[in-house]
Amino acid sequence: MMYEQIEVTGDAGIKASGATLEEAFAAAAEGFYSLLTDTEKIREEKTIEVKAKGDNLESLLVNFLNELVFIFDTKGMLGKKVAVSTLGNGTATAGISGEEFDPERHPRGLLVKAATYHNLKVENKNGRWEVEVIFDI
Amino acid sequence: MAVQTTFHRIDICRVELPESYKSGMRVKGVIYVDETLESGLDQKCLDQVANVASLPGIVGASLAMPDIHMGYGFVIGGVAAFSLDEGVISPGGVGYDINCGVRLLASNLRRHEAAVRIREITAAIYREVPAGVGSKGKLRLLHDDFNALLKKGARWAVERGMGNADDLERTESGGAIEGADPSLISEKAYERGRTQLGSLGSGNHFLEIQYVDQIYDNEAAAAMGLFEGQVTVMIHTGSRGFGHQVCTDYLEEMATAVRKYGISLPDRELACAPVNSPEARSYLAAMRGAANFAWANRQCIMHWTREAFLEAMGISPRNLGMRLVYDVAHNVAKIEEHTVNGKGTRLAVHRKGATRAFPPGHPELPQVYRKIGQPVLIPGDMGRVSFVLAGNEKAMHETWGSTCHGAGRVLSRHEAIRRAKGRSIYRELEDKGIVVMSAGRETLAEEMSEAYKDVANVVDVVDKAGISRKVARLRPMAVVKG
Repeated sequence: MMYEQIEVTGDAGIKASGATLEEAFAAAAEGFYSLLTDTEKIREEKTIEVKAKGDNLESLLVNFLNELVFIFDTKGMLGKKVAVSTLGNGTATAGISGEEFDPERHPRGLLVKAATYHNLKVENKNGRWEVEVIFDI
Repeated sequence: MAVQTTFHRIDICRVELPESYKSGMRVKGVIYVDETLESGLDQKCLDQVANVASLPGIVGASLAMPDIHMGYGFVIGGVAAFSLDEGVISPGGVGYDINCGVRLLASNLRRHEAAVRIREITAAIYREVPAGVGSKGKLRLLHDDFNALLKKGARWAVERGMGNADDLERTESGGAIEGADPSLISEKAYERGRTQLGSLGSGNHFLEIQYVDQIYDNEAAAAMGLFEGQVTVMIHTGSRGFGHQVCTDYLEEMATAVRKYGISLPDRELACAPVNSPEARSYLAAMRGAANFAWANRQCIMHWTREAFLEAMGISPRNLGMRLVYDVAHNVAKIEEHTVNGKGTRLAVHRKGATRAFPPGHPELPQVYRKIGQPVLIPGDMGRVSFVLAGNEKAMHETWGSTCHGAGRVLSRHEAIRRAKGRSIYRELEDKGIVVMSAGRETLAEEMSEAYKDVANVVDVVDKAGISRKVARLRPMAVVKG
């Protein structure tokens, strides 16, 4: 997956890309998990389905990532692999494969409060989708 | 990038961003910086101050404190007041961590008495008060209890034996803002908050054992029960995932409201609704619930901190004498009475990374602080110092009774980590005599002193400007970080 962390004073961001929009969303999600812990240490023990809605691609991405923030905060779910199966008509559906947070095995990284609209980008550049999202830490 | 030509200096402590700076500005911007801090002002912050100045119904000026840094929509360190008739309420003017705030505890202990047991005390606090990613508090909230907590705030904890009535008097708004409506808060927020009461969180949140190393104002320090060499505890945290979810939910709702009311915005994070609209009323009622959650959270953490001290020191509660000095919110929106053009007017005051600093005599202050003004608690970074200030009359005339909230970040997390490469921040702090326990893998590097402005510079500006005054300086002995 193609993602990298980007620098923001006080917070953290992810820049992700993919050949398709689905891939770019999935890469952003995997990037999000890389902020929380060392993703190498996550085992693929189960897969859960996540759905999100949004009026446009920007809000769809923010709402999708905020759904992952919510699921981590309430169930401790950490994703190693993310596959976005459907994306369009204002909804996104994804499978998150991973396991629950275990403080013994997963180094504690950043505590993400929310994905924000700040400098948010969802763009198609020369046939490749690129997204950038800043998280409030 | 420093900017020189876009604003002009009003006096040694303030610069003005004129309405001509950016089209759409309804009022000017005023930023509290001296010449040293001015050099750190960045274009994006100025743009954010200007954007807030363009919101409907803003009164006076779009204000920023010397700890200004870029936020989402609104700057951090920003204060903006809106007319109740023509103005707006914006979740972005409060921030994701609703009622992030600071609580200061005083004790009967002197520095050397705590120093001999400092590792044991810190370890006990670390056990009692969970910190860091994925950490859970000791309580599990059931639904009815949760609703009671959202209305009662800190009182909820006091009623369960975690503190006393005096604590409530020494908490901003008595530890609860009236008008919280749990029915306007999503099930998701409840789910996030259920296990997080009594936990510290992460990022810049901390719990610090300190000692008073300098007193600047004897009368105010005496009223607060502070003396040189005394051990204090500072708690910096907020409403945890509960408040973050309330903000996330209502930003979404406000985006719809913006279209409904035809408000044009330069930045989606400024999403807002007219003060009297159902959307704004709902947000305020939900926000108050989250603010009350934060006060209950800090009350619980205070209780468990006291328990940790008792356990580690093996002394009686009377000898420990741990008591609340004050508790302030620095991310909140409130309806307050202020004077506009000589007339008493109610305004919607947003403080995002700014602290209320009411002056002596203000009717909202408890009797014990009526004469000296409201205590204001300003945390520094973990290697330097923190301050206690008191409110002054001048703040009522210039800043809607507000002052700064902290040091203000200057380095990104990555840059901080880069600069910490090859160094042990833990060792550096230990060498300064500061014991550290941290849950996160890179928290110490991210939060090292160099990542922040020197809080002493920030506090000097608000003191010189007269919007609050220095009372005491606190130096860290031990830090618990997320």
